[in-house]
Amino acid sequence: MELYELNLWMLMEGLKAGKFSASEIFTSCKKRIDQCEGEIHALITRTDDTPQSAKEGVLSGIPTIIKDNLCTKGIRTTAASRILGNWRPPYDATAWTRLKDAGAVLMGKANMDEFAMGNTCGNSAFGPTRNPNDTSLVPGGSSGGSAAAVSAGYVPFSLGSDTGGSIRQPASYCGVYGLKPTYGMVSRYGLISYGSSLDQIGPFARTVRDLQIVMSVISGHDKMDSSSFRDKPHDFTHNEKPSIKGKKVAVVKEFSGFTLDAPIADAMKRVQKVLADEGAIITEVSLPVVSKYAVACYYALAMSEAHTNLERYDGVRLGYTVKDARGIKEMFERVRSYGFGAEVKARIIAGTCLTEPTRCEEYYVAATKVRTLIAQEFTRAFGETDYILQPVTPSMPGRVGESDDDAMKGYEADLYTLPVNLAGLPGLSFFTGYAGGLPVGLQLIGPRWSDSELLDAGIILENHLGGPRIANGGVK
Amino acid sequence: MNLTSEEVNEIALESRLLLTEQELAGAVKYINSFLDALQCFKELDLKDVEPFSFAEAIECPLREDKVIPFPDNEAILHESEHVDGSYFKVPRIMEE
Repeated sequence: MELYELNLWMLMEGLKAGKFSASEIFTSCKKRIDQCEGEIHALITRTDDTPQSAKEGVLSGIPTIIKDNLCTKGIRTTAASRILGNWRPPYDATAWTRLKDAGAVLMGKANMDEFAMGNTCGNSAFGPTRNPNDTSLVPGGSSGGSAAAVSAGYVPFSLGSDTGGSIRQPASYCGVYGLKPTYGMVSRYGLISYGSSLDQIGPFARTVRDLQIVMSVISGHDKMDSSSFRDKPHDFTHNEKPSIKGKKVAVVKEFSGFTLDAPIADAMKRVQKVLADEGAIITEVSLPVVSKYAVACYYALAMSEAHTNLERYDGVRLGYTVKDARGIKEMFERVRSYGFGAEVKARIIAGTCLTEPTRCEEYYVAATKVRTLIAQEFTRAFGETDYILQPVTPSMPGRVGESDDDAMKGYEADLYTLPVNLAGLPGLSFFTGYAGGLPVGLQLIGPRWSDSELLDAGIILENHLGGPRIANGGVK
Repeated sequence: MNLTSEEVNEIALESRLLLTEQELAGAVKYINSFLDALQCFKELDLKDVEPFSFAEAIECPLREDKVIPFPDNEAILHESEHVDGSYFKVPRIMEE
């Protein structure tokens, strides 16, 4: 077995026992990247960190990759957009600072949909990433590069961000575990904003135990992010044999009428049986507002927030610019018109439209009220159940380059993930097995701050369902 | 009510975006289909519902209004092509 095939906790134990060195891990991962990257294209920028420069800590010498919307001091950070050009941020994102201080070694910055807007990793100014399980398919998005990198064995873990499913959906498509933490659990300082009230940074890994290790490093209050919380549970200590006996796991009544691809429907049945065999009580909750209004509510808010967040890109202080504009208006127009891709432009225009004084009450304010109803509905549901089990997506991954003319239809595929962001909940995307060679993932949701319990439940599921194997990575 | 091409173009210009003819046609279709989807809000009685502000109460994180110097101003200025000394320099704001 090659070292790149080992999971994070195995690498940590092996290093501690002196079975191999950090340099050997680094060399193995680097070779694996060289082997697959031409086909997968999971990275926008490869970095030249070495294990020799790593700090002492729990992750000392462990290679990692982070999404390219996380700021890295002195290292190009693009958010997969032309408009950021070759920007080298003057500071690190807190999540990256914490990994670096724990000894992690950065191998690269991962490809993504531009400004995290998309669910295929095809909306990147640097070209699409491909699914390491089948390179004709998309890896999911927007954190597609981070998920593909872990799936193909580039690194044992990576970081992504999740605004409406951008960790959970690519985790499911690529066959890895991904956690979207409770909003406020991980500092957003240094995360290039898309929808600030929805964005959250989280990890990808090939075991749930590895997610626990990463969460124990990156979570916790940060004075630089006013939406991060003090005095909340951040104990992600690994428990070998957690129990779910007597806990209630609900499926959503209104979702039962929706069509799912056969492998996903089969996985839903199989996982309910596993949980019931472990002593969980399988039940049902009703989420009528979520099921009918969450998609419209989410996109109204996400686009409104995107429009304000992306106003700052004007070519003055950083990124792509023009030097011969006759006035500031011309400069802004030329920079933004060339710098942003089609999907980003469409969302900026939609967000501007929804927040204009004549329309704001009808659309934006209405959406914030619908969000209140959605959050209340989840609070009621978690009075009746401990967890909610549901798909991540209704369908298996599509082909690279295929696009749908009807954008709203594509957005509806996010129904199972985006309500979690609207209510600020944690969601775990977990591997359930393979169908026709492709991984199939499902999602477990819990109330706010139940992240560690969710991961305990994930351990039980992993023990019963088995973990994913390293994907072929397009190697002929 | 559907937005016309002219109205969408006006909104794009407010966002400082110049659209090609093809981009504008796409944007009109996109925005109108999106606004149609948002009509569903009218089915709900939202009169007495408070707008969502945050998932749970959080103490207002005010801090002292004090200037804290950034440790590496040079790294910020280095990223811009519009620098004059320690300032950013922009093209003229008043149009001719």
